[in-house]
Amino acid sequence: MRLELHKVKIEKLAFAEKTYVQKRTLYIGRAEAEQLILEDTRFISAKIDLAMPGEKTRIIPVKDVVEPRVKLDGEGYFPGFFAPMKKTGEGQTLVLDGAAVVTCGPIVAFQEGFIDMSGPGAPYSPFSQTCNVVLSVEPREGLEKHQYETALREAGLKLALFIATACRDGGAASQVEEVQVFEKEDTYKENAKYPDLPKIIYVCMNITQGLLHDTYLYAADLRPALPTLLHPNEVLDGAMVSGNCVSACDKNTTWHHLHNPIVQELYKRHGKELNFLGVIPTQESTILDGKLRAAALNLSIAQQLGADGVIVSEEGYGNPDTDLCLNAKFFENAGIKSVVVSDESAGTDGASQSLADATPEMTAFISTGNVNEMIEVPAMERIIGYPAAIAELSGGSTESLREDGSMYVELQSVIASTAEIGFNKLGCEWI
Amino acid sequence: MTREIERVAGIPVVQIATIVPIMLTVGTNRIVPGVAIPHPTGDPAQGPEGDKKIRREIVMRAFRALTTPIDEQTIFEK
Repeated sequence: MRLELHKVKIEKLAFAEKTYVQKRTLYIGRAEAEQLILEDTRFISAKIDLAMPGEKTRIIPVKDVVEPRVKLDGEGYFPGFFAPMKKTGEGQTLVLDGAAVVTCGPIVAFQEGFIDMSGPGAPYSPFSQTCNVVLSVEPREGLEKHQYETALREAGLKLALFIATACRDGGAASQVEEVQVFEKEDTYKENAKYPDLPKIIYVCMNITQGLLHDTYLYAADLRPALPTLLHPNEVLDGAMVSGNCVSACDKNTTWHHLHNPIVQELYKRHGKELNFLGVIPTQESTILDGKLRAAALNLSIAQQLGADGVIVSEEGYGNPDTDLCLNAKFFENAGIKSVVVSDESAGTDGASQSLADATPEMTAFISTGNVNEMIEVPAMERIIGYPAAIAELSGGSTESLREDGSMYVELQSVIASTAEIGFNKLGCEWI
Repeated sequence: MTREIERVAGIPVVQIATIVPIMLTVGTNRIVPGVAIPHPTGDPAQGPEGDKKIRREIVMRAFRALTTPIDEQTIFEK
């Protein structure tokens, strides 16, 4: 299977009559884009703002982030949402590299986060480095929270696709600066090519807990599903979509799934240091039997493929720590070496037990940071969204927002600050 | 919290929660497994009557656990 990501670099944003890209500047036809969102009668207003790296801008509260993409040789993107239901991971995809659609709106109040485009808070989020097209909406009165989540999730995907499609149709292909290729055959053929390399599989845990804590695979809710096996290209080409309203720091946004660094790093080493078998998107259930079932089936898939080792990444914290422990335990007891990637909730002083659960089989742990670490961020000149929302975010409190506009908050209120697929450069130090 | 109440006040405690491994890890002594994280003591999918029956069964089991002498961490499955 061969996937080509055709990347048009984006370094600047500007509003214009129409949406197009020219000389690394992405022009957004504001009226047409806002009109597109308002076609959805679940919204009474839609507003698009632009936020650039280095600006004194804060975006709050953020729900999801989506990279503008479209198939160059096909229709739409995100099968089941805005593309026909077919397999992803093949052919050519246009990527507006450096641009991001950020959806903004207080849905569950405490489970969205913020992005600072400059200042001390900026390095904690990858989205301080992207050129952000920020969509803020107002739902119509009486729209239930779960309907609001669905509407805003779809609006983010739709806007990202609209931007990429307009650029594609305006000839963006001629401005492609880099083509990134991901190519790997089926496991049978790859095993024959690399019989002596260790076989490694990646288990990507996802929050699948209902009540707006959901992840979608080919537009199917993963919660009532079972673990399955994907070719890594499918993950890198729009098979997975975030529907999560959960603590901002460690939710995998849709943008993260498209860029999953564990998938990319395993790919780089494929055929050299290891044989990358594939990706298992798996569940984090709210029922103990569900957790046991997912861990058992993750192991079953890995065993059927003859895996020697596994990398497991968590999403969220708290009860999913048990899923993480069960995965490590089941794999290790079956003789498959496991490495887990997770963040820690070790208290503001870092001295508390950092996971809710523990197991002696979990012998290789990579930390992506302490979600409770306190940070101070200054006032910003411009706020996109709803500044008062900080009082309600996880990691914030009514005292967090000071009169001068500065904030004293836990790290967990910054979007993707401790992303557990290892996107950031944070860690914890043993003392 | 359950351990501290038992240690400091000497009052026996039953913990009803869904994820039993966490209770075992943190040292809860009397454990009654709950149904699911969003609804530990019931199951709305069973309808109001079925839900009430489950709630009653779990609470009665917790009372029994509270009055059962134990000398190690014990899970009251039934």
